[in-house]
Amino acid sequence: MTKKKIGLHTFMAFPAFFLFSVFFLYPLCKGIGMSMTDWDGIRTAKFIGIQNFICFFSDKRAMTDIKTTVLFALGSAPLLNIIGLGYALLMNGKFRGKSMARMFIYMPAIISPLIMGYIWYLLLQPGRGFVYHALDRIGRAELFGNWLGNYWTAMLVLILVNVWQYAGMTMVIYLAGLQSIPADLYESAQIDGATGRQSFCYITLPLLGPSIRINVVTNIIGSLSVFDIVMSLTGGGPGYNTETLSIYIMRMCYGSKTGYSTAVAIIMFFIILVPVVIALRLTKEKSE
Amino acid sequence: MNKTIIKYRFEVRRQCEKIYLIIRYLLITFVCGVCLTPFLVLLILSLNTPKRNFYEGNMLIPDFYFQNFVEGWHKSNIGQAMINSGLITIISVVLIVVLSAMAGYAIARFRNKINMLIFGILLGCMMIPGIINTVPLYTLMIKIKAVNTLWGMACVCATLALPQAVFVFTGFVRSLPKEIEEAAIIDGCSYMKVFWRIIFPLLKPSISAVVILNGFGIWNNYSQAVFFLQDSSKHNVPQALSVYFQQFAGAKWNLMAATAVIAIIPVVTAFLIFQKNLMKGLTEGALKG
Repeated sequence: MTKKKIGLHTFMAFPAFFLFSVFFLYPLCKGIGMSMTDWDGIRTAKFIGIQNFICFFSDKRAMTDIKTTVLFALGSAPLLNIIGLGYALLMNGKFRGKSMARMFIYMPAIISPLIMGYIWYLLLQPGRGFVYHALDRIGRAELFGNWLGNYWTAMLVLILVNVWQYAGMTMVIYLAGLQSIPADLYESAQIDGATGRQSFCYITLPLLGPSIRINVVTNIIGSLSVFDIVMSLTGGGPGYNTETLSIYIMRMCYGSKTGYSTAVAIIMFFIILVPVVIALRLTKEKSE
Repeated sequence: MNKTIIKYRFEVRRQCEKIYLIIRYLLITFVCGVCLTPFLVLLILSLNTPKRNFYEGNMLIPDFYFQNFVEGWHKSNIGQAMINSGLITIISVVLIVVLSAMAGYAIARFRNKINMLIFGILLGCMMIPGIINTVPLYTLMIKIKAVNTLWGMACVCATLALPQAVFVFTGFVRSLPKEIEEAAIIDGCSYMKVFWRIIFPLLKPSISAVVILNGFGIWNNYSQAVFFLQDSSKHNVPQALSVYFQQFAGAKWNLMAATAVIAIIPVVTAFLIFQKNLMKGLTEGALKG
């Protein structure tokens, strides 16, 4: 009788692991095998070794996609963290309407990035968008350009929209971190004559370690695998210029290059892995 | 002499604090404005008549033409999509909470080799975004006939959220004192019973954190839905919207905006209901791990 009870609870982690194995680990392993075939989704696959990987690195479109993805991440991950931390510092402490303000700032994060992209598209559409008309009204229509039609401005818009949307989420995690810092630390620092900047650098930042870690890592992953916002704002255009790697994978899969798209996914995995490992190393040293 | 200087300094400091407070309020108002403006513009657009030439006359006061919502509702697939998204979200959130709370408890309390291995694998996979194994997963889903089914999509969404949820629950269970459980065990309670009767109710803050962190993302999921919900009767909200928007290709703004507003309403309502738990759940639940 007692033996049976012990048996049951030791397997409590198994249901979760079972689901995870079926829908994650198994496809992951299968993907590694598939990446070395020329499978198109229907016919039987033929083993072609590392042909797919060679193909990827000689594809000009794929190289632009890597550039776009990395540029996007380089812009949005640091900006998200800086602005999120700024918001958190601004919103920390007591003031009237605190919960309301926090709610408003978090609001963009709960709405589908796809819808968000469409909303910004409505705002920014050349010649007809809200921004154009607003500028026209104040007599500065010439300031408006076709921002989504040019590579650099389109990238800037994508990054800013992404930051605008997820700064609230970053803020909430930083706020949670800020609130776990005991207030008497600041008091004693003030008594010892520390300036605001000093107490920020020597108390706030080090004690925010765990929040910084979570935010930096999730923002790197999120930015490098960005999909929805690009789909709705530029659709990867102009041409294929602002296409990101995840969109490329999707399009290759639909373009019956199934084997090839898994190869791209594996390359993308390493593109994400490297900065994440670096970020984890850096934040680990800081928190110790 | 000295006293007046001190008094003067005190006065200056108070003035400074006042100015600082005003600047802070201005900044907060500005930031909130930046966050809300697109929503307001969307609302204005959705209330304009189709005939209205864009932004003629007063830009900020719409026509209050509610027919847009009726037309948007009927012509798009948004109603069905909301039911689909809702079902997917509920199924997967229940799966996530039950499975990862159980796993988190087991990993935190019974540190045997198997549990540690499971924890290690889950943590290692936390860094892998879902898009990477989507294509092989798609072929698997076809085999087990889970493509274009709500349960299949729910399982995929739940799986993607599992590692983080297990991580959160494990951290939280570790911070709970062992004494209550031990007392119950001595009284003859089984570990399973202890978990469901004692531990699970205590997990409330982390449960709300996990639900909030994942629920909205699952409702809004697009990158997985593109693969696994291709049938238009099984489309979720973002898909239904993107299909509807692509029909117009930039024309008929009033309808596009109205449908977007319809799509946003349930999310915002849910958020307004849960937002009190959001901060609490995150401070108490998510960061303990």
